[in-house]
Amino acid sequence: MKVVSLDPRVNRLPEISGIDSISRKAPLDQFGTYEVFVQPKEGKPFQHEGIVHAPNLELAFLLAKETLTRRFMCSSIFVTDTRNVFVSPTTENDQNVYDLIPSAGPAQGNARPYEIFHLFKRGKQHVHAGQVAATSPQEAMWIGGQSLRAGKMIYNVWAAPTDTFRFTRDEERDLWLTLPEKKFRDAAAYKAGDKLKTFLEKK
Amino acid sequence: MNTAALKELLYKMADDQLILGHRNSEWTGFGPLLEEDIAFSSMAQDKVGQSYALYQLLHALGEQAPDTVAFTRNAPQFHNCQFVELPNEEYDFSLIRHFLFDTAEAVRFDMLTQSRYEPLAQLAKKIRGELRYHTLHANTWIRQLGSATEESISRLQAALDKAFPFALGIFEPSPFEDQLIEEQLFAGEQALRLRWLERVQTILAETSLHLPDVTLTTPEFGGRNGHHTEHLQPLLDEMSAVFRIDPTAEW
Repeated sequence: MKVVSLDPRVNRLPEISGIDSISRKAPLDQFGTYEVFVQPKEGKPFQHEGIVHAPNLELAFLLAKETLTRRFMCSSIFVTDTRNVFVSPTTENDQNVYDLIPSAGPAQGNARPYEIFHLFKRGKQHVHAGQVAATSPQEAMWIGGQSLRAGKMIYNVWAAPTDTFRFTRDEERDLWLTLPEKKFRDAAAYKAGDKLKTFLEKK
Repeated sequence: MNTAALKELLYKMADDQLILGHRNSEWTGFGPLLEEDIAFSSMAQDKVGQSYALYQLLHALGEQAPDTVAFTRNAPQFHNCQFVELPNEEYDFSLIRHFLFDTAEAVRFDMLTQSRYEPLAQLAKKIRGELRYHTLHANTWIRQLGSATEESISRLQAALDKAFPFALGIFEPSPFEDQLIEEQLFAGEQALRLRWLERVQTILAETSLHLPDVTLTTPEFGGRNGHHTEHLQPLLDEMSAVFRIDPTAEW
């Protein structure tokens, strides 16, 4: 019998059936993932904020906007399919990852622009460093090591082709216009601690 | 300035947003995927916020405070169109309503940036980013699902057929149409409807969906005069439950 509950988790439980129903396990019907980068304020660098599930790039952009920038500050976002992001090895302590990236070797066809991201501290978010033109992800990282390193200690590098991103268009900058006013989305705005204190004192 | 005409305009706009905001918030926790649940809930919150801004304008014109206006009226005193009070049904209907209503809302506020009533023109400019997101959201989903699978297309088409007469009810003429236009407070429901039809048709042309013939459709009017379906009063009872227990409650 099909259970009908107000709780969708209950409705998703498998149906009870007989022993004659042995069948192949179905793949998960989940969407692929997209990487979301957020610029908190005009002039600040974009940084990796998280991922969203979506059926395509445009919907990923759409869903990223509310999933990852519905609180605090944002002036722009950009999004790319996780499969477009190439990842360097990861280092620690005094080992700069750029020193481990071998030179790019011979060019492989035409150069295209790549966006480069740096990890400055293990466990933190990748920060957008800039753009390079290269014929492969490895060459992009190698060139990044020459032009974007800026004397910093870098533990991991991401490179992704620029033309795979959905950027915020100029006319879309007003999407976050009223965000700073939405304090009610901030847990701190409820002052729950103060309210609890007043309540306990009244008691 | 014709205050009666202005108040009528502000009340119907605010009531539309409050009621649809509340309806759409019923999807919170039940959306088709987590990210969409968050997006739809955020937009519902935006609508309630926009209605609050309009109720504040009304308050400045001598009407009761926003909470009183929102929580103490009964169905016959509400001026929303019937479209926004209809139950959510499946996501197909909610999405089609979101598309049809929010397109009209975005065009209306775009027109209102030219209003001679300065506070309303200011508000229209301020929330343009919110409205841009709402229409981007609606258009993207309609483009996606309106040309995806046989099931998604036929479900959206059925929802569109059902929603269309109610959507035309958004543009029920006000008794003050001439005054609003004459005093350049608002360019009128007829002008709005024309621009709305054009935008809706532009998006639908990119899909396998077909807009029902507008000349053969009788609009569901009445909401603007307080004639509502059986669905509005239960919504109001639920929305005002906490207020009725404790009007000073804060959370």
